[in-house]
Amino acid sequence: MKKAKTGLALLLVAAVAGLTACSSSENGNNQESSASSNTGANAEAVIDPMAKFPEPVEVGIGRAIDPNYKFEGSDTAEDNAYTRWLKDTYNIVVKHTWEASIADYNQKVSISIGSNDLPDAMLVNESQVRQMVKAGQLADLTEVYGKYGNERLKQIYESNPGLLDNVTFDGKLYALPETTLPSAPLTWIRQDWLDKLRLQPPKTLEDLENIAKAFVDNKLGGDNTIGIIGTGQGGSLYSNFLASSDHFMNFSPLFFANDAYPGIWVNGEDGNAAYGSILPETKNALALMKGWYDKGILDKEIGLRKSSQEVISSGQAGIFFGPWWSPYNLTDSIKNDPNANWKPFVAPLDAEGKFNSNQATGSTFIVVKKQFKHPEAVIKMLNIHVSEKDPSYATAVGKELTSQEIPLFLIMGHGDQLDYAVNTTQKVLKGEMTLEQVDKLNYGFTYELSSHVKDVKLEPYDNYDIQYWNKDDDFFSHLYAHLNGGSAFINADINWVRSLATAQTQTMQTKWTNLKKLEDETFLKIIMGGASIDEFDTFVTKWKEQGGDQITKEVNELK
Amino acid sequence: MRNKAFYKHYYLMLLPGLLWLFFVNILPMHGILMAFKDFNAGMGVFRSPWVGLDNFRYMFELDDSRIIFKNTIFIALLKMVGNLIVPLIFALMLNEVRHRLFTRSVQTAVYLPHFLSWVIVAGIMLDIFSYTGPVNRLLSSFGVEPLLFFAKPELFPALVVASDIWKEFGFAAIIFFSALTSINPEMYEAAAIDGASQFKRLTQITLPSIVPVVVLVGTLSMGNILNAGFDQIFNLYNPTVYSTGDIIDTWVYRAGLIDMQYGLATAVGLLKSVVGFVMISITYGLAYRFANYRIF
Repeated sequence: MKKAKTGLALLLVAAVAGLTACSSSENGNNQESSASSNTGANAEAVIDPMAKFPEPVEVGIGRAIDPNYKFEGSDTAEDNAYTRWLKDTYNIVVKHTWEASIADYNQKVSISIGSNDLPDAMLVNESQVRQMVKAGQLADLTEVYGKYGNERLKQIYESNPGLLDNVTFDGKLYALPETTLPSAPLTWIRQDWLDKLRLQPPKTLEDLENIAKAFVDNKLGGDNTIGIIGTGQGGSLYSNFLASSDHFMNFSPLFFANDAYPGIWVNGEDGNAAYGSILPETKNALALMKGWYDKGILDKEIGLRKSSQEVISSGQAGIFFGPWWSPYNLTDSIKNDPNANWKPFVAPLDAEGKFNSNQATGSTFIVVKKQFKHPEAVIKMLNIHVSEKDPSYATAVGKELTSQEIPLFLIMGHGDQLDYAVNTTQKVLKGEMTLEQVDKLNYGFTYELSSHVKDVKLEPYDNYDIQYWNKDDDFFSHLYAHLNGGSAFINADINWVRSLATAQTQTMQTKWTNLKKLEDETFLKIIMGGASIDEFDTFVTKWKEQGGDQITKEVNELK
Repeated sequence: MRNKAFYKHYYLMLLPGLLWLFFVNILPMHGILMAFKDFNAGMGVFRSPWVGLDNFRYMFELDDSRIIFKNTIFIALLKMVGNLIVPLIFALMLNEVRHRLFTRSVQTAVYLPHFLSWVIVAGIMLDIFSYTGPVNRLLSSFGVEPLLFFAKPELFPALVVASDIWKEFGFAAIIFFSALTSINPEMYEAAAIDGASQFKRLTQITLPSIVPVVVLVGTLSMGNILNAGFDQIFNLYNPTVYSTGDIIDTWVYRAGLIDMQYGLATAVGLLKSVVGFVMISITYGLAYRFANYRIF
């Protein structure tokens, strides 16, 4: 029986943990409250958003840990060059209330929310923000942000209109959003394989089919060459309206090229909101994918594979779909095969020649627990993260750090950060611009990219083929992603389709599990042959009956 | 007086176990209340508003509920039967082998998989049965089209049950081995002198002697009627096999931890626990009557 209760037991254990932790955190807060009233009094007088706290201020956070990340020496995510510098320079002491691997992080956040056992601050996604607002767990940040947010931070949010409105409820600001880098799934193909077979890059779905078929027929990846690799176990065929930021390694473009937008709410024919997954265009896309699957063009083990990326790394496949930053995940592939020359293509296009993509709405947010006495410490951490660093930084840290060292890491930049980064870096490379002309203040990372680009990119500067790079430089993946992927993306003409709803409605909260299961099961079965394409119509009827119609009504009221 | 001291000593030894039971199993029980509430994390279990039986009503309206209960019972039943018969036959067969070193090493080898976690075993299985894995290569050498085993709903329960038996039969056989060694060898000698054949000795002496143990193991396993094995299925399944492979525990996991429907997930889990409790009570009664099994 012990195992039998796993599900229930998990929830129960979480609830108990909540009780005990609540009482302990209350004690903690009492002890701190005297200190906070002091700093509060000082702050009233003159507020310097970057000032050092007079006393050490502890911030307990929940943290996602990458188990494969290699830290310097004996450093850890909790105690490293960055956190030590934060402590010495600003008296901000970051403690880990809990840690979870990246894969389990969302689950851990869910448990944290459900048991009301929250760290002082953590990173969450949009539906978690809403859940926590509803449960009244979050601190109102309106005032602290106004007082302590520095000029640079406010500029960034102003240049990304709508971001703060999205997390403002009844006039109160409850979270600090990331300035999501735009993302549309491009088609990544091994250019060296195309060259070997003398094939032209794809434009239409048909071109793509022929290329994939040629790769398989000519066994370019060995006997078990896979045409197009995508979704693995636990993954989704396409990004949906609740988690749409990540287009890496799924099959979204095959839907988009059919003008189908499953998983998001679009404008239906009658002008009302409609769920993309139940529209005829999605049926067409599924029929196409079923055909490709039968012909052996799509991976035979969609949804079953433990790791799709392994297939890429081992050189078994030459085509996948992913956003401009995909090269960050191609380092293993390039290491294993120095000739692996991945190129992004703005394809496949739809029947009218347009390149479609749904628009990323999912993002990461910093939230602060209601009872936390020092929300200003979190604002300061973000100020520090986005601003030009104190001179002490160069000696204490002095190298490029990642989300593994920097606690509460958000990607923060002006709305045009990617365009600026790519264009500027290209100009610096070609000598059309000097390093001094780069807007270091507003685009710090661009400055970093530009200062390294000449060490990493070899001549000819316009050619991003893999042989013209210095792959051993630390900055290789950054520059390879920005120049090879980023330049293709910012120059692409993309027809963006945005979801009309980006959060759960009332009925969704109870019925979505069921509907989502129905959708995932039916679509995968249609593609992989367990069900015929006509099953789609049965799915639509069932979906509407089992709560879909009610939810559609609610989404229309939202509009 | 000597008796009293004896008891004290044993109660003391029991204490850590009881404490553990209290804090880990009894204390968290108040969470069951979530099943009857519109759970709001900010208000906590006790202050969230009551919704009566709404969560249960909705659970029974769901098509899913029928399917997951059916799948759970089907897989659990097959596992119960398989995990009783296979280890028994294995123990009987190995018992006939007289070569001590051989029996010892076989015994050790077969119960090793028991100590591997499902995460590892499932990974290995997915590889073995993958589209280009050894099983399909073997099949294709006989001219059979390669088959995607883990995407076939009709095969999934069989794969789950078979792999579970493979992993557990060696360990489950231990209790039968011990029952077999406790049979008085004089009975065999007497039977041999009376001219009973090897087979006769098996049916007339061995089997009747271990029937109580078999009945005991069988009845006690009935408490697992709703326990189809979360670890295993969670690591093996995918949406194409939801129709036969989605069980109560995996569903509760998705509803509760992924979609944060705490109330509904707790209701389903609670129902499962209640059914499990009833089954344990019944089987204890049965074991008490037929296998002379006593706890109290």
